[in-house]
Amino acid sequence: MDEEQLVAKKEVLQLTGISYGQLYRWKRKGLIPEAWFVRRATFTGQETFFPREKILERIERIKEMKDTHPLDDLADVITQQVNAKLQVSLERIRRLKGVDASVLEACDIDAAPKKTLSIQDALCVGAVSRLKSSARPEELDLVQRTLRARVDGPLLERIPVDRLDLQLLRKRISGGGISAEVSLVIIAPPDSVFDPDVVTVGRVDLRDLLERIKLDVAARSAEPGAGRRASEEES
Amino acid sequence: MSDERRSISLAGAGKLSGGDYARVSISGAGKVDGDLCAEEIRISGAGKLAGRTEAGQISVSGSGVFDGPVTADEMSVSGAARIEGEAKVKEMKCSGTFRVSGNLLAEYVKVSGHIRVGGNLEAEIFKASGGFDVDGLLSADKIEVHLGGKCEAREIGGESIHVERGNFREKGILLDGLVRMLWRGAAAELTASSIEGDEIELEDTTADVVRGKRVIIGPRCHVKNVEYTETLEVHDDAEVEKQTKV
Repeated sequence: MDEEQLVAKKEVLQLTGISYGQLYRWKRKGLIPEAWFVRRATFTGQETFFPREKILERIERIKEMKDTHPLDDLADVITQQVNAKLQVSLERIRRLKGVDASVLEACDIDAAPKKTLSIQDALCVGAVSRLKSSARPEELDLVQRTLRARVDGPLLERIPVDRLDLQLLRKRISGGGISAEVSLVIIAPPDSVFDPDVVTVGRVDLRDLLERIKLDVAARSAEPGAGRRASEEES
Repeated sequence: MSDERRSISLAGAGKLSGGDYARVSISGAGKVDGDLCAEEIRISGAGKLAGRTEAGQISVSGSGVFDGPVTADEMSVSGAARIEGEAKVKEMKCSGTFRVSGNLLAEYVKVSGHIRVGGNLEAEIFKASGGFDVDGLLSADKIEVHLGGKCEAREIGGESIHVERGNFREKGILLDGLVRMLWRGAAAELTASSIEGDEIELEDTTADVVRGKRVIIGPRCHVKNVEYTETLEVHDDAEVEKQTKV
């Protein structure tokens, strides 16, 4: 593999403004993988280096999320592989901002009897709720059909790694006195380039959305108590 | 989960084929062949557990050998225990001798005996008044060491790291002598290749490099290189080859 650019530990602290305590704590919580700690001999002795891009990006994301979520939940969200069989409770999804009956209807989700949603359903609800103010009903339908038909295991695994956006595009084609508008939905990296006539109507950061959904699951699974604690004694 | 679990007691020479129990107590020479899951495991004789072990509480006052990974809420060792594999123990107390061949991942670790870890020892709070030997990284938010024997780790990292000479001396020469004898005459000191933390206060420590925000290098320390970002104090009776404010 290509030789990644490395950054020394003390430089990481300087660049990100975090403390040693935070760095070691995050490592302990599994937020920074052991494999990223690269030990190299330098003239001052052993020093620890990290893959530059990965560590800086990871720390920024932890900093963004740490105030709103417990560290223990973050580990699941940031590091765990996405399970395609993940089930999300409808109850919780409904509490997300912008999710109402019209969104569920647009996603073809029957609100009453179904208690849990598949990960694809959850992504649909999330994407539709974010796009509903800018998109037309038939476009929302296209969005949900795209997510259902195209988001499978391999793509789900790519989402946490490569940033992928779901984008809703429109293009007007005219000629011979007739003009028509075409709507397209694509799942592509955010910096994808289109021809100049394409208009981006809306975009949803799928990684962010997936993280939110996973957080929801993590928060739920953390609730039940870890079993009883027997009274302590020393003999 | 709701079905009733049995309790079993191995006294004399006994064998158990693993399984799910409420309470397992080994007071003679007992062996568990498969994976064991129990709310409570007590070893006061000689116990050998061949599989993986999962328990609420484990106490070893005799000798316990765990040939597989161990997961427990609480574990206390006042005898001798050895784990071949990784140990995940929320609350670990060791007043005897304890060896883990892999990583020891915990929330709270208290060592007044001796602990040896082949991998990393990571906890939220680590308190030692005995000795330790960590082949990898010793990391905790709070590390508090009262040197009571030879203490070694390749790397030490955390938020606050406090190392001071143990207070055996104050209790008289006899106890001090006894402690020295127990640890084969080894001096009560800490050795590490690197020590990194936000607040660091050291005594009797030898290290290649100490990096921190606020650092105090106390008596009888030998440090090749100190890098600090805010403050540094070096005791008269300490040796620092190079110090840099970064």
